[in-house]
Amino acid sequence: MKTILLLEDLPEIRAWLKTLVMQVFPDGQISEAARVHDAIELVSAIKFDLALVDLGLPDGSGVKVVEKLRETQSDCQSVVVTIHDDDEHLFPALQAGAFGYILKEQARELIIEQLQRMAQGEPPLSPSIARRVIAYFATQTKPQQPDLLPHVSLTDRESEVLLRVAKGYTLPEIGVQLGLSRHTIADYVKQIYRKLNVSSRAEAALEAQRLGLFRR
Amino acid sequence: MPADMARFGFFVRWPVLALAMLHWLALGTPPAQAQAQPQALIEALAADDTDLGHFPAESTPRAVSLPDDWARTRPNLSTPLWYRLRFDATDPAGLLGLYLERACANVEVQLNGQRLHAAGRMSDPISLDCQHPLLLPLPAALLRSGSNTIDLRLSGYALRQVASHQRAGALAAPLIGPYAALSARDSRDELLAVTLPTVASALLLLTALLALVMARSRRHDSHLYYFAGLAAGWAVLTAQLWWHELPLSNYDSELLLACLPPLVALAAVQFLLHYAGWRSRPIEVALYAQCVAVPASLLLAGPLRVHTTANSWYLLLLLQMLAAMAFYLWTTWRTRRRDFWVMTTLLGVAAAMVGLELASRQIGLPSPWQHLPGLLMPLAFVTMGLHLVQQHGSEPPGSEAGRLSLGDRAREASAAMEKTYAEMVELRVEQVTHQERKRIAADLHDDLGAKLLTIVHTSDSERISTLAREALEEMRLSVRGLTGKSVKLIDALGDWRAEVVGRLSQTGVESEWSAPTEDLPQRLSARAYVQTTRILREAVSNIIKHSGASRCSIRCLIQNGDFQLAIQDNGSGIPLELDGQLDRGHGMASMKHRAKQLRGQCLVESGPGYGTVIRLTLPLEPQTPQA
Repeated sequence: MKTILLLEDLPEIRAWLKTLVMQVFPDGQISEAARVHDAIELVSAIKFDLALVDLGLPDGSGVKVVEKLRETQSDCQSVVVTIHDDDEHLFPALQAGAFGYILKEQARELIIEQLQRMAQGEPPLSPSIARRVIAYFATQTKPQQPDLLPHVSLTDRESEVLLRVAKGYTLPEIGVQLGLSRHTIADYVKQIYRKLNVSSRAEAALEAQRLGLFRR
Repeated sequence: MPADMARFGFFVRWPVLALAMLHWLALGTPPAQAQAQPQALIEALAADDTDLGHFPAESTPRAVSLPDDWARTRPNLSTPLWYRLRFDATDPAGLLGLYLERACANVEVQLNGQRLHAAGRMSDPISLDCQHPLLLPLPAALLRSGSNTIDLRLSGYALRQVASHQRAGALAAPLIGPYAALSARDSRDELLAVTLPTVASALLLLTALLALVMARSRRHDSHLYYFAGLAAGWAVLTAQLWWHELPLSNYDSELLLACLPPLVALAAVQFLLHYAGWRSRPIEVALYAQCVAVPASLLLAGPLRVHTTANSWYLLLLLQMLAAMAFYLWTTWRTRRRDFWVMTTLLGVAAAMVGLELASRQIGLPSPWQHLPGLLMPLAFVTMGLHLVQQHGSEPPGSEAGRLSLGDRAREASAAMEKTYAEMVELRVEQVTHQERKRIAADLHDDLGAKLLTIVHTSDSERISTLAREALEEMRLSVRGLTGKSVKLIDALGDWRAEVVGRLSQTGVESEWSAPTEDLPQRLSARAYVQTTRILREAVSNIIKHSGASRCSIRCLIQNGDFQLAIQDNGSGIPLELDGQLDRGHGMASMKHRAKQLRGQCLVESGPGYGTVIRLTLPLEPQTPQA
């Protein structure tokens, strides 16, 4: 039985998501929230397996919820459900620890397929997101303070996967090109996201530390 | 040139006026009183001194007429000479005085056998009193009615012993008359012969000091140092007029004094050469050597050939100075024409004065001429000094160019500043526009997007949902076109590939994508990217919905600076209209329109059994190196 969190402010959309989720996970227990504040309260109270989080909410960004989930319930898969398809909005969510993203306006079947795939451990990765990740890790190559925080970098394989995704190849194609199964490729993507999250958190912590030093 | 003459005239006007006033004051003495005019005693009996302390009446005196110039009457003798003069006291009641305009070098006066005046040394070194007039009151007690005798013992040097004629033995005709009248005359002569030259020398020294100060502040104007030296040297040279007592013998003092003219000549020549901007090491060395040679030659010549040796040297020095002046004027004529006439006048005056000075030292000149150099030379110096100050008060020639280049640089700097400002304004406008667009995008997303989304998911009609969905995607693209930055072509190709291949594979169409994969430098503007995306989407939608194709190939390449895209499918093609034209539906019109907006073109070829080929050509922007 899955516990699922739904965070969406537009009531029609929320209702629609609910029906969708119930279709994929018939025995799921769904908790709904319309504001970040409420969602955070729910997160502290209930342990979730899956969270569908909208980004544009009246009292803030859903990224906060993603962060909170990552901090307190690292097993929970948070999926960003958003109207924005650009990496400006999606990348921070991914950095915060989102597992994947879904574009809201897509047809129900597509969304279901994507959700299922995510459930199977295959997060989506678009070329623009891949480019963003590559650029991010390119700036991370200089060791900040190796003794203080873990230094995260991509393996060669992961970099290759990212590059090919950026070129527009689909995951099955990449699997064929690298001689790996689709599942392995999907694993790589998961790893990439995880490292992105870890690295981003480390960076944030470093920044906080530096700010703390300044404030002192 | 007229401006300079005017300037010159201005400078000269005031000193000349002052000088004229002084002259008038000096010469315009009140007329002598109607009573006895001073009478000049022009006949005397002269006898050589025999150390008796009075006129040696025993020796045979000879008659001489006064003024007596030893250089003419007894050229090689330097022993003291007695003069006996007789006069009649016409008015024993009033005070009579004896006035000697000039007695060189020292004189002792006796009236009727009584010593009236004796001062200083009468033997070598004789107290030099050549320039000061002597006025003695004749006490009534000593006067006899009738004929009185005045005995004068004159000690002086022979001409050959002294460098300057002015120091050779000479006696002016004494004047006997009312003391008051003589006193006035005495004051006047004192003024002319002593006071004015003293003032003039002081003026010269002041000029020298000022020139020195100016020279210190302008290191590269070395000619100012020489000018200072010249002025000071000339001041000292003409100051020897009134050195009464020198502890040295005449010969030694002449030697010492002889060191001055070569120094002055050195200063003058160097000043002129440096002022003309020409330096010559050999000449400098020669001039310095000369300073040593002159006294050395005098030393060698001995005390009896002082006059000839010194004056030959003086002549040589004068020639050197004239040569330097000529050279300077020649240079000025060629290069600084403005200064030419001013400098010619000045130098001409100076040369004339030096000539006069030299003549008065050599042969002796009558009184007015003798004093002229002493008055005009300082004037010339001061004028020269003023000219130098005025010239260097305004900028030196180098800074004219410096000022020009400064002006140029200022203009450059202000042009650069204006450009930077314009760029900043442009950047700001861009920034503001960008922020505006982002706000519009956000509003669109929040408001319009939300509504469309609601339609998508709440509509019962599939068609309406699809339309709303497409509208939402369109909105996203428009926002992207508004706010997006340019993208690299290679990235755009990646995006398109993912979308096209993904969509086609989902609907079971085989797709073949070929495009350059190496890193291309070209970029697409946001608008071009968005429009091309729309064209691609339209084409793919057509293939999926209408063509019934099973295979589709997409080829992209870059040729002749254009981006070429060819989408080919093996479907049924676009149906023809009745008039043989392609069906204008299926978004063909919009594709063509979009391509045209991007200054490209979109061609469609289609036919039954042939499938459809859509060829899109877009010009790429010329590459500018990206920072």
